[in-house]
Amino acid sequence: MTLRIAIDVGGTFTDGVLLDDETGKIWLAKSLTTYVDPGNAIATVTRELLEQYGTAKDVSQVVHGTTLITNSLIERKGVKTALVTTTGMRDALDIRRELRYDTYDLGLTYPKPLVDREDRHEISARLGPDGSEWAAVSSDEVSAVAAKLHADKVGAVAVCFLHSPVSSRHEEEVRSILAEALPGVPVSISSEVSGSIGEYERMSTTVANAFVQPLVKTYLERLRSRFTEGGIDGRLDIMVSNGAFTTAVQAGEFPIRLLESGPAGGVLSAINCGMLQNADNILAFDMGGTTAKSCVAVNGRPEITHTFEFAREKRFKKGSGLPAQTPSIDLIEIGAGGGSIAKINPLGLLQVGPESAGSEPGPACYSLGGENPTVTDADLILGHLDPDGFLGGTMKLDGSKAMQALAKLGSSVGLDALETARGINEIVNENMAAAARTHIAEKGLDARRFTLIATGGAGPVHAVDVARRLRIRRVLCPIASGVGSCLGFLVAPTRADRAWSKVEAVENLDRETLAARVAAAKNEIVDEITATGAHANSINWNLCVEMRYLGQGANVEVVLNPAVTASKQELTEKFLEEYTSVFGRIVPGGIPEVVTWRVWGVSGETVRRFELGSTSRAHGEATRRSLYIPEKNAMEEVEVLQRASLPPGTKLRGPCIITEKESSLIVSHSADVQILDDGTIEVVLDEVAT
Amino acid sequence: MSKLNPIATEILWTRLVGIVDEAAATFVRASFSTLVREANDYAVVLTDRTGRNLAQSSQSIPSFIATLPETVRLFSREFGIESMRPGDVFITNDPWYGTGHLNDATIVAPIFVQDDIVGFAGVVSHLPDIGGRLRNPANRELFEEGLQIPPLRLLHAGEEDKVLIRMIRENVRVPDETMGDIWAMTSCVTSLGLRLVNMLNETEIDLDEFANDIIGRTEVAMRDAIRAAPDGTWAYEIENDGPAELKGGVVVIRATVTISGDIVSVDYEGSSDQVNLAINTVLNYTKAYSAYALKSLFAPWIPNNEGAFLPISITAPEGSILNPLRPAPVGARGMIGHLLPPAIFGALAEPLGERTQAAPGSPSNNIQITSLSGRKRYAINAFLGAGQGGGAGRDGASAVSFPSNLSNTPVEVLENQAPIEVQSRHILHGSGGSGRFRGGDGIGMTFKFRGESSAMASFMINRIKCPAPGLFGGGQGKPAKLEINGNAQIASGSHVLSNGDLVIIETGGGGGFGEVK
Repeated sequence: MTLRIAIDVGGTFTDGVLLDDETGKIWLAKSLTTYVDPGNAIATVTRELLEQYGTAKDVSQVVHGTTLITNSLIERKGVKTALVTTTGMRDALDIRRELRYDTYDLGLTYPKPLVDREDRHEISARLGPDGSEWAAVSSDEVSAVAAKLHADKVGAVAVCFLHSPVSSRHEEEVRSILAEALPGVPVSISSEVSGSIGEYERMSTTVANAFVQPLVKTYLERLRSRFTEGGIDGRLDIMVSNGAFTTAVQAGEFPIRLLESGPAGGVLSAINCGMLQNADNILAFDMGGTTAKSCVAVNGRPEITHTFEFAREKRFKKGSGLPAQTPSIDLIEIGAGGGSIAKINPLGLLQVGPESAGSEPGPACYSLGGENPTVTDADLILGHLDPDGFLGGTMKLDGSKAMQALAKLGSSVGLDALETARGINEIVNENMAAAARTHIAEKGLDARRFTLIATGGAGPVHAVDVARRLRIRRVLCPIASGVGSCLGFLVAPTRADRAWSKVEAVENLDRETLAARVAAAKNEIVDEITATGAHANSINWNLCVEMRYLGQGANVEVVLNPAVTASKQELTEKFLEEYTSVFGRIVPGGIPEVVTWRVWGVSGETVRRFELGSTSRAHGEATRRSLYIPEKNAMEEVEVLQRASLPPGTKLRGPCIITEKESSLIVSHSADVQILDDGTIEVVLDEVAT
Repeated sequence: MSKLNPIATEILWTRLVGIVDEAAATFVRASFSTLVREANDYAVVLTDRTGRNLAQSSQSIPSFIATLPETVRLFSREFGIESMRPGDVFITNDPWYGTGHLNDATIVAPIFVQDDIVGFAGVVSHLPDIGGRLRNPANRELFEEGLQIPPLRLLHAGEEDKVLIRMIRENVRVPDETMGDIWAMTSCVTSLGLRLVNMLNETEIDLDEFANDIIGRTEVAMRDAIRAAPDGTWAYEIENDGPAELKGGVVVIRATVTISGDIVSVDYEGSSDQVNLAINTVLNYTKAYSAYALKSLFAPWIPNNEGAFLPISITAPEGSILNPLRPAPVGARGMIGHLLPPAIFGALAEPLGERTQAAPGSPSNNIQITSLSGRKRYAINAFLGAGQGGGAGRDGASAVSFPSNLSNTPVEVLENQAPIEVQSRHILHGSGGSGRFRGGDGIGMTFKFRGESSAMASFMINRIKCPAPGLFGGGQGKPAKLEINGNAQIASGSHVLSNGDLVIIETGGGGGFGEVK
């Protein structure tokens, strides 16, 4: 018997799930996040899980994810960090890219760099763009810098030299001198942390990594010993932003890769739910109090992005933050959640968000003094929320306050309270649908073939209508969506990547050299993956190459068969095919070239069926409540069912409402609704003639 | 019955801006030159069938947003809308009908629904090269400035115009990059058209009706914002580095701004006459940067479209530096055109006070170097920002592109493309003017030329003679500097660089705002 535990430390709650690997049974626990020592909540949750199950003896693995690193970057609670860089380049952090993120705003401000100017040191070592040495590393010079860093009581060092993605030797040389002179002070080098060309973005990423590294190292070490004290001696693995887990040691070296670990877990959990129901194309949809997020996944693979921004000066304003180049699950995020405030803008249009009423004063219906109507107020009036059943009945919602706020807002543009509520709902759902539509279209896919998977407190409330707008017919609502990130951690594979850049025309490619390089990379990956306890023959291989026309700066990704070495002709053909699908036409006379090769191995990529450990079925009475039906543009009484009372196999017809403690699934359209054998709710919208 | 209401319009408007941004993102990915992907020197605009601007890419060069609709109207006049067929793509770089210099190409495609044109997709981009002498204020005739592409069809119903393409290829230094960008622009307008047609099909919306709605709303909001400001007429003069033939060697920009009810007008009577140097600014470009300044002051938050321009009128005397006659040289027009926002801010300082901002140190600083490296031709083109003026409620930002919006090119990319060694790129601390709100600091850049063959280089460095003035008693910014092998240059111009030559550039500090208390 093997047990595995997943723990997710979020901004509000610390969630835990214990899985019996053989039976697929899960037990859940939740506790408020303890900011002073997050380990307290983790210990509480772990204890609760083990009490439910009975023993700690057989826990083979704990997978952990956390938003704490993201928070410490946003709140700038890192250590005093120094930067060592090439002579003349220390101001790169202030100069940024010189771009204004809002063309018309004359008073823009920019986030302060994480390292003060007096803590940025320059040394004369220099490489040329081809990696040749223009000036060698002077160990005397580096030692003098080390002495200064020691005197300044620096807690971490970032090293970023020009052209290190081409040759990392200077960064490595300087790291070893610094490491010797500054025992206990971690050194991050840019060629390892980021490895992309473009000094500003790479420097910013490396500095952010160094800034939080000592804290993360200590945190993970304490966590390890806490688990040991609790009688758990299984491995501690950490979830990273790209949707895989890695060892605690690796995570301690590259904490910047953990920024989106929680949301990545949520997406994996949604994908798992979809794959179990044979959905190849998945739109994971999650909506909480302030934002809605979605992610497109095809054949079980989420979209990955390599650019990320944190500490934005203006929320949702691209370019106003600090860049971090690290592979992350590509989340489409819009500033619309339950607390988002609706207003009439100066153009006379109804607008929702991005300002949020938060929990205080909160939406008007909370009766805590909030006067602005929010998405929650609209949901209440449309019958999406139960005034007496919100948050499991712990909070009463005042419909008359919501009505008043909506009526007041709408009156200035000739809308009544219901029309205003309907408008708010439409705008939120349509904005979310529009964002997803773009991502799906960019991949050349047809939205109608997708399955939408809804999680988060407000996700199931809006999911069916978002799906309808995308012409998606099938919506799934997994069990235990309140701890979705944890379920994702438990299905996350272990993964190791190797990449190398060598720009050359396809015409000049040497097939034998390439084959040897791929083989060497595979050997390294086998070593890394087997270190996590996986078997070498369990590894699934992937190979792709980024290609472009000679002279271009951006690449298109060409997926190749990892088992054979492609011929020049195959490479060219695949590139042209991919290029046409992205850009609509090829470039006459253009010369295809390869840029970056990526090999990765994935082990333990499984689809996993979960089942709640405690199976007591509640006997909730079905009730009725008034729900807004868009097709009829009117309110209508529909059945409200308790999810916990519905056994697998139950079949229902929409419109209807299915509620549980964390959320409500709202089906305002004609649809077949079914409880599947693992407890997932499936909604299939009736086909509408278009 | 109309489908438009405060809800439907909001949803459709968001989607319309979204599809333009998507087309722009595709263009950046497909482009061949660093001018697009590193410097952001482009804009994508969608117009209705009459050339009214409906939406543009969020990350856009302010001038291009306003010039592109003019170019669309030119194509309509020149070819007649009835002669246009699906798959037609038009191109020009005419400065008077385009963006004010030959270096930018404007590419436009009509968007058809069945047999009818419903709108136009357009993109403007700074081409990697256009032949002629390097873009340079010292050029004295338009004919030195490169290949002129009059309004022409690049694609005839989808068929490439082989003659035109051959002409372009033979006349530019880096034909693969240049044509690569032109094809990327072609993809961009084609895909923008498709996206619009999809949106119209899905939503069953009438584009004309929708255009009237959003343009009307923007116009009303702009008029309201103007009406809220006091009526009156104010004038301001700003000076900039100019040719010796002008009095004192300086160019004078005189802006007289009148607010009358919900209308604002700017007249440039009293500005210098056109000159035999490539710093003349065609009326299209003059209008564009004037409108940019007014929108930034009055209603920065309004989504931009034709409606924002309707309450604005801009005039400049024919034959002046802000409305030159053909064939005046115009290549470095940004060196003067970028002064229009600070001139307007200065004029409106009295009625608008704290909302205004002192002058930036930045009008258009630029470096170009071209030669052969082995047998391969290179041509780099990189921008440097400077200090923004203090004001608008805060100290001026340092090292930023204003009023344009161009990125720097990473040092790693520059050194990859041309044989130079960038020894330093740093902030010039203390170069911003003093004031209650300090001016932002300029940028210093030092590089050594390492090429074996000598290269042609052109530097457009502004404010060597005339530093950025302060506002309301704020101090002036530090002037700019261009030094080659220790010799300070008195003006921008072209130079031959040989192995080992050392170039030092310092861009100007921004002006300060208000007296220090």
